[in-house]
Amino acid sequence: MSIKRVRIRFEDVLENILNVMKDEEFQKGVQVSVRNFEVKVREVLKNHPEIERLAEEVREIKKKVLENLDEYLEMAINSMKRIGAQVYVAETADDAREIVGKIVGTNKLVVMSKSMIAEELGLREHLEDIGNEVWETDLGQFLVQLEKGKPMHPIAPAIHISRKRAARLLRERLGIEVSETEKVENIVKRVREFLRTKIKNADVGISGANSIAADTGAIFLVENEGNIRLVTGLPPKHIVVTGIEKIVPSMLDAFKTIMVQAANIAIYPPTYIDIIAGPSSTADIEQQRVFGAQGPVELYVVLVDNGRRRALSNEFLREQLRCLKCGRCLMECPVWRITANVWGGPVYGGPMGINWTAITIGEEEASELAHLCLLCGRCTEVCPMDIPLHEMIRHLKHVYNRKHNILK
Amino acid sequence: MVNLSTILSVINDFSKKHGYPFPVPEKEIYSWAEKFSLPRKGEVILYTGGLYQLVPYIEPLVELLEKRSSLLKLGKVTLALSSLAKTVLRPREDLRKFSRSVLENIVKLLISSNINIAFLYEKELYNGALLYDFGLDETFSEHINKVYKVLKESGAKKVITVDPHSTNILRSIAPKYVENYDLEVKSYLEVLAERLDEGVLRPKRSINERLVIHDPCLYARFENIIEEPRRLLEEAGYTVLEPPNSRRLTYCCGGLLESVAPGLAKGVASARISELKSVSSNIVTLCPICFANLRRVAPKDVKIGDISEYLARAYL
Repeated sequence: MSIKRVRIRFEDVLENILNVMKDEEFQKGVQVSVRNFEVKVREVLKNHPEIERLAEEVREIKKKVLENLDEYLEMAINSMKRIGAQVYVAETADDAREIVGKIVGTNKLVVMSKSMIAEELGLREHLEDIGNEVWETDLGQFLVQLEKGKPMHPIAPAIHISRKRAARLLRERLGIEVSETEKVENIVKRVREFLRTKIKNADVGISGANSIAADTGAIFLVENEGNIRLVTGLPPKHIVVTGIEKIVPSMLDAFKTIMVQAANIAIYPPTYIDIIAGPSSTADIEQQRVFGAQGPVELYVVLVDNGRRRALSNEFLREQLRCLKCGRCLMECPVWRITANVWGGPVYGGPMGINWTAITIGEEEASELAHLCLLCGRCTEVCPMDIPLHEMIRHLKHVYNRKHNILK
Repeated sequence: MVNLSTILSVINDFSKKHGYPFPVPEKEIYSWAEKFSLPRKGEVILYTGGLYQLVPYIEPLVELLEKRSSLLKLGKVTLALSSLAKTVLRPREDLRKFSRSVLENIVKLLISSNINIAFLYEKELYNGALLYDFGLDETFSEHINKVYKVLKESGAKKVITVDPHSTNILRSIAPKYVENYDLEVKSYLEVLAERLDEGVLRPKRSINERLVIHDPCLYARFENIIEEPRRLLEEAGYTVLEPPNSRRLTYCCGGLLESVAPGLAKGVASARISELKSVSSNIVTLCPICFANLRRVAPKDVKIGDISEYLARAYL
């Protein structure tokens, strides 16, 4: 499958939205999550005023990198090679799928930790198509996989799935007996049991990256569930697939970046921060370095462009490349609070999603989504990277008007 | 449902031809001010941007477009437009009354603050907000240059606006589209608050009433008009309550979507109404679009009023 061929039409998007507006379970799921999030994120930011200062620093860091992206990309590649990783740069989504497909091979058991870029590439579906068994290990993303749906939020993908719907999915798709009135704890336990076996026996683990340090090649990941540590630690092969905009100059910069991201997702302090700088190794016998101790033997990094460098030369879209994909703009958007990621594009959603759709698919396709924006500016107000999200969407409205010959 | 391209074409083409985004009797824009006999030229000009006056026509317009959607579906936009131009839209009478009384109150409040204002009457033009918000950039650019020209020709150095859209367009957007832009722009709420601080404007009576304030997005996030309305209300004795999500984090009324996705607009407005109602069922709005959108979904026991009514009760 190729996401590039996706056609977006305003009328279809609106119809889908009107349908989820009628879905009470969906609406309740999203609204409960949003309300809880709103309280939590305000509390985190109030209790940690240092985050605002850090965000200011990260904005400058990101600007610096984007002004010299090729330079930092090269630095990151060299650093990663130095620490024993095999590095690839994928220009397009097709390239990225092909590269990962070759590394994985066929008839393999693959476990994945949630990654929006994997969604952007349609990576899970591709690996399945070429004959692999693939499992998502983030609970929300796992439920989305069972539902054969789309993550409804970059950080909380199953925001729309109630416990009842979750139990139903486990029963219908995997034959795991859980009743619809089951406690959430028990649903989580049953999923853990199922996924543990898969992770233990997996040939390949695939993760994204929240930040990459160009100076050392170190990869930073933030999480709460503990699945990322297992996915990146247990299987003999670990593949990191990530966007080139995740590169920052140093390890300290990478650390600042993930702290700002975590706070804006309202997981603070994050339960786990994973830093990976190379495959596992030991020199305990005769000081001879051997790769593959307890962790993976091989580490692959696939750096994906897929429209990002092209966006650098677009005065509107380049701003979006500072995005941490924290999803704060979605949670605060009055329209997104009704539509979740049903609005935003085939992969991403909400204000940042429309702009990421423009970057990774095309401005004309993304423009079909723009006229549902209120231009109320809450997204821009809360964005820790000060991205003028609503102004970019207004620009896309203009693109729509030109495309449909309205301005004549 | 009406096709998006059609709505955009109607607004675009109609504005180009008639200066207003849809058919409104021209007199409607200024007839409310006839009784004041304000000068037609001056350094300080009151500019309404036509927004309060247009609001009573939005719902009838959407209804009309829906009725004619079969014609519009065939892509016969030109035909539809010419028939639309001959159409007399019947305004929502309650909203019309509301708009006229708001504008009258604003003039009276300014006069009692010793501000000498002029008004353009027949020359008063639409503020172009829909053109800008819908990304109809070329038409907006043409339009806003006309607005600027008319204001300058009437001697304007300072413009006093009556709603957040006109304030934002004239103060923050127009300078990007008009060469050598030179106008001082203030919302009447800022002007009144200044006069209050100077001791020129004083409440005539103290009103012991609790209300919840709904900040419009444009005033709060883009024009930094947040304290002025609160100060004016509090000085008059009102207790101003803050809803969840206020000031810079205020929550949209759904405004812009009322014509392109009315169902979604109602969803947004309902979410906001429940936030406001959780604090008080006496709601004050500062923008005609907010007023119309919130009122459409408000339960019967909720009272929504424009800030000018509340101020008129205390200061006039």
